[in-house]
Amino acid sequence: MKLDFNFILRNLPTFLEGAVVTLELSALAILCSLVWGLVVVTARTAPSRALALAATGYIELVRNTPVLVQMLFIYFGSAVLGAPLSGFAAGLLAMTLQNGGYMAEIYRAGIEAVSQRQVEAGMALGMRRHEVMSIVVLPQAIRKVVPPFTNQAIVMIKDTSLVSSISVAEMTFHAKLLTDRTAAAYEVFLTLAALYLAINAIVSAALRLLERRVAIPT
Amino acid sequence: MLNVLLANLPLLLKGAVVTLYLSAASAALAAVIGVAVALLQLYGDPVTRAATHVYLYVMRGVPLLVLLFAMYYMLPYTGIDVGATAGGIIVIALYFGAFMAEVFRAAILSVPRGQWDAARALGMYGRLLMLIVVVPQALRIAGPPFVNTCIMLVKGTSLVSIVGLWEVTMAGRQIVERTLAPFQVFGGVAAVYFVICYCLSRYGRWLEKRVSYVH
Amino acid sequence: MVAVRGVSKWFGAHQVLKDVSLDVAAGEVVAVIGPSGSGKTTLLRCVNLLEDFQQGEIRVDGEAVGYAGAGAARRRLPERVIARTRSQVGMVFQSFNLFPHMTVLKNVMVAPVRVKKMPEAEARASAVRLLERVGLADKLDAYPARLSGGQQQRVAIARALAMQPKVILLDEITSALDPELVGEVLAVIRQLARDGMTMMIVTHEMQFAREVAQKVVFMDGGAMIEQGPPRALFADPRTERLQTFLKRFREGYQL
Repeated sequence: MKLDFNFILRNLPTFLEGAVVTLELSALAILCSLVWGLVVVTARTAPSRALALAATGYIELVRNTPVLVQMLFIYFGSAVLGAPLSGFAAGLLAMTLQNGGYMAEIYRAGIEAVSQRQVEAGMALGMRRHEVMSIVVLPQAIRKVVPPFTNQAIVMIKDTSLVSSISVAEMTFHAKLLTDRTAAAYEVFLTLAALYLAINAIVSAALRLLERRVAIPT
Repeated sequence: MLNVLLANLPLLLKGAVVTLYLSAASAALAAVIGVAVALLQLYGDPVTRAATHVYLYVMRGVPLLVLLFAMYYMLPYTGIDVGATAGGIIVIALYFGAFMAEVFRAAILSVPRGQWDAARALGMYGRLLMLIVVVPQALRIAGPPFVNTCIMLVKGTSLVSIVGLWEVTMAGRQIVERTLAPFQVFGGVAAVYFVICYCLSRYGRWLEKRVSYVH
Repeated sequence: MVAVRGVSKWFGAHQVLKDVSLDVAAGEVVAVIGPSGSGKTTLLRCVNLLEDFQQGEIRVDGEAVGYAGAGAARRRLPERVIARTRSQVGMVFQSFNLFPHMTVLKNVMVAPVRVKKMPEAEARASAVRLLERVGLADKLDAYPARLSGGQQQRVAIARALAMQPKVILLDEITSALDPELVGEVLAVIRQLARDGMTMMIVTHEMQFAREVAQKVVFMDGGAMIEQGPPRALFADPRTERLQTFLKRFREGYQL
């Protein structure tokens, strides 16, 4: 097997064009699901039974169906409704809906990992519920949330490749086009894999750094 | 409203059967790969350990869809012909095998040190110790996360529709092309996955409860 | 300072406190002793309403804790009021429960600043003074994980004192400590007793209870069985249950 490096270099601009879209979608999807997950976990842990039940049902629904099917549902569904979403918007929406469910569970696990004794210690000092939450529980929960969040972020970056099937011109889409045109399958897919590996390596290194920065000193 | 769905139900169910078959076959293969990689990673010589490390790194960092594409575009050039379905199963198994390796590795490591000591004190060693004391306990611990990985795998099989394999998602796309009823049809497709995955997650939770009784 | 009147509490059908009454005068140290499961810790936790109770009333410095009204009109006070009561009652836990994400100084400052709205500088000065008093002036910037159990517990005592509480509740504060660290914590409590701090102490350290308390209360099965000055109570237990308890204790059972 001999790789044509000139071919790779020649087509690097195309890959990078796709990489920009991949990064855009990843960043937006991660940001939106961070926020949406907060909304879902608030409902999930709300005193109202109905709200909590609805949130639990939502989480079960999005976690037990493929994000690809959700994308197709939204993409083709919006067209039928007469308000067609772009592939990018449909992909972003589907990824936010699905990963918001995962993020909600990550948040909840983080909050539950802070022991009840910490809550009691706060209450015994005269803190009110929201003060216990903001002074004692959340600062500890956020630290516990970083590692699973890192995993989820990587999953999401990889999942952006799926929008290539609803005609968004991100990295995988360009790679496929290029292969169809040139038949240089080895060059194209090794480059593509290397680019994903590089993005994920950088993101997880950055998040590990964050993890170390926020770690409680011992 | 639901007429479209009813009319096409036989086709969707046929697709569901294919999805189940793809899932079961690749999950079984992924479990074997997972156990093997976990053991190699823990007890292999430095060279195999390094090799498993590269394998895990690639599988964790590259999207499943890219691996599937690579398989379908690259394999024809190598002269290997395993057929499209078998190819899909192998790629899915390789991808999720990496996640299962992590599950099994963590499970083996979480068997308490005292259990190893106790077995050694009774004169056990090597394979016997692993087989009688460690593996049974590790499997019980690995149960719930293994089931979770299976849920990811079932959802992951939907990706083979993008590379042209026929299963329930592909069936859905074909029906939508004909009927222009994406909500009903993809809703039905989602329901198929939901039933499979929800059953799995109930089972996983049941296992979890059983594990926590033991400890 | 603390008045407990006819307090009863149930966990489902199981009654864990049975009509308990008890007084702690200002400046008095009261030790509550009894076997595990006797309800002594539960009683202590009722005083700052970490546990609800269904009957009776508790007053701290004349103010009702947790509930207003009686009988059918009995209702739980709003959270704001309960929190205010708690801010006047200090508590030290068996497992320290320091906030792991804050330095020692911050642990002691956080409640005065955030709950009492004390100016930062004033809270800092008072925290430093208190930490000096418990012998930890050199650990201000350390995080709890770096400290020994005895040091952590002394920080917890300083944290409780920083709120200038009217009474301090101490819940088996030496039970989680290695034996060689018990002394340093008890020394701090002894000093507090000499300074006239009102305290309610649940403890397994009989020698300590005898030495530091003006009054000892013996609980068993959720009920208050006997109370009196330590010398009399230990020397001449009137009930059989206290006799058995003290006998077992002397024989070295882990109680």
